[in-house]
Amino acid sequence: MSLRSLPKYINCSIGGIALALGSVNASAVAVTDDLDVSGFMRVVGGYLSGTDQKVDGYSDEPSLKQQTLLAVQPTYSFTDSLSVTGQLLAHSSDNRDSGVEWLYLSYRPDDALHFRAGKLRMPFFAYSDSIDVGYSYPWISAPAQVYSNYLFSTFNGVSGSYNYAGSNFALNLEAYYGYFDGDILIAGSRVNVDGRVDDLRGLVVNLRSNNVGLRLSYHTGYNETRIYALEPLQEALQQIGMTASASSLDSEGEVTFIEAALSYDTLSSFYKAEWVHTTTEFDAAPSLTGYYFTAGYNISDWTLHATYASSAYSETNAEDELQPILAAGYDPVNNPLYELAAGYYQVYNSLPDGSMDTYTLGARWDFDINMALKLDVSYLKETAPRSGFFALPASGFYTDNSISDKYSATLYQLGWEWVF
Amino acid sequence: MMRTTLKYLLLMFTPVLLLPVQAENSIRVVANTEGKELTLGREQVRNLFMGASLGYDLRPVALPPKNRTRMIFNTQIIGLTESRIQSYWAQMKFTGRMQPPREINDEPALLDYLVAHPGSVGYLPADIQIPDALTVLYEVR
Repeated sequence: MSLRSLPKYINCSIGGIALALGSVNASAVAVTDDLDVSGFMRVVGGYLSGTDQKVDGYSDEPSLKQQTLLAVQPTYSFTDSLSVTGQLLAHSSDNRDSGVEWLYLSYRPDDALHFRAGKLRMPFFAYSDSIDVGYSYPWISAPAQVYSNYLFSTFNGVSGSYNYAGSNFALNLEAYYGYFDGDILIAGSRVNVDGRVDDLRGLVVNLRSNNVGLRLSYHTGYNETRIYALEPLQEALQQIGMTASASSLDSEGEVTFIEAALSYDTLSSFYKAEWVHTTTEFDAAPSLTGYYFTAGYNISDWTLHATYASSAYSETNAEDELQPILAAGYDPVNNPLYELAAGYYQVYNSLPDGSMDTYTLGARWDFDINMALKLDVSYLKETAPRSGFFALPASGFYTDNSISDKYSATLYQLGWEWVF
Repeated sequence: MMRTTLKYLLLMFTPVLLLPVQAENSIRVVANTEGKELTLGREQVRNLFMGASLGYDLRPVALPPKNRTRMIFNTQIIGLTESRIQSYWAQMKFTGRMQPPREINDEPALLDYLVAHPGSVGYLPADIQIPDALTVLYEVR
């Protein structure tokens, strides 16, 4: 739409409001303007006990900084079917950038179709695109095994959705295409990589019948993320002709996410289960599986819930061609490549390839419309070392002294959620 | 302290949830269909008020939270508590998918709104006189 036609639109809509006012009992209707501003805020405090490591930024020092945020979402409607929406986010964590999280043009030709173009949130899993809106889910932190792994939260592109309700079901289909360029977070921490995913596309199916909801999704893209920490080693291996080893450190190739989620809701209780599986073409990070089960009870304004979550990486597959050099032992004169070989296998030994279980008990009190207080206590336990959640340095690789330890800890969190 | 908390917890069981369906809890789902005949099933009404398209070009209109008719509608048709419904709409709104139904202050105003707006659908207590211009789509007895 050109700027010149804007005054016409404004005139039209003022006319529309006058018409609406005229035809409706004036005391009754909340008149909606062309500009609608809404938003959400959360203040979350957390404290980790039982370890000297950090998890999701939390340590044995109580912190309000890790998840506290404020977002404002203005929507300007040009017509009934065309609007532009932005979302400005201020985040207290050092790992998250503040700024424009969202900016897209929205077009609804009718009530079944919806198209969007611009900077959008990634609809990976059931709560991925509302992960900052704590009010939208029962926990303070959605299960990390599903929601904190190797993910990015936004992409640039287009998305289309179709919804239809039959006599006893409701169906929503959503498809998108675009690219991602920005920071990659692993277990809530920004890692030193230059994230880039092209040809990013996916399909999300939401089906609901009576009290049962099913969400199935498939997402794939070509990952071109550069891992700076690995480049010197990779170049050195290339130079000595160890091309298989060099290319096994590549992080270029297809990345695929599949997800299945099931939910069951009644007035007094709810049950949720979600399973996700990530596969890549990289030898250094072949696949990751995560899932959780949640059961909750509603007692008037209170929700009490319990969650079990688990995740496991698949085994990594180092190349064998450097094994003879490693086996020959340290000898600077006769075996000058020993340190390079040792470095290569050390990288493989320090990749996250472990697993973790979490047990969470929580309470949520909806003490007012659009406001809730929450309390979560989570017991986190590594079932194999290097789960990716404990003690992972910014490089994305484990350091020597944490390589084979299994950690456990208890995370206490208190949160206040508000939407407006 | 403990005793007060317990008393408070007990008080919070909303009577609406415990009451059986009686005449005073009956509601009707009413629309301005411009004279066209239409009836819906409970699940269709639920889907409509949760934002799905039924293909009839109907626009749901709600009463505000804490309104008694709304509480009955939540219990008997939506099947979720008010806070769960608010959470659902927060998710829909802040993921850019859907906006919650427009809210009208009270039942008489809702009735006026329905009469004035073809395609609008609302829920009203069964004992409210429905004008001829509106069509009853569904009734909880």
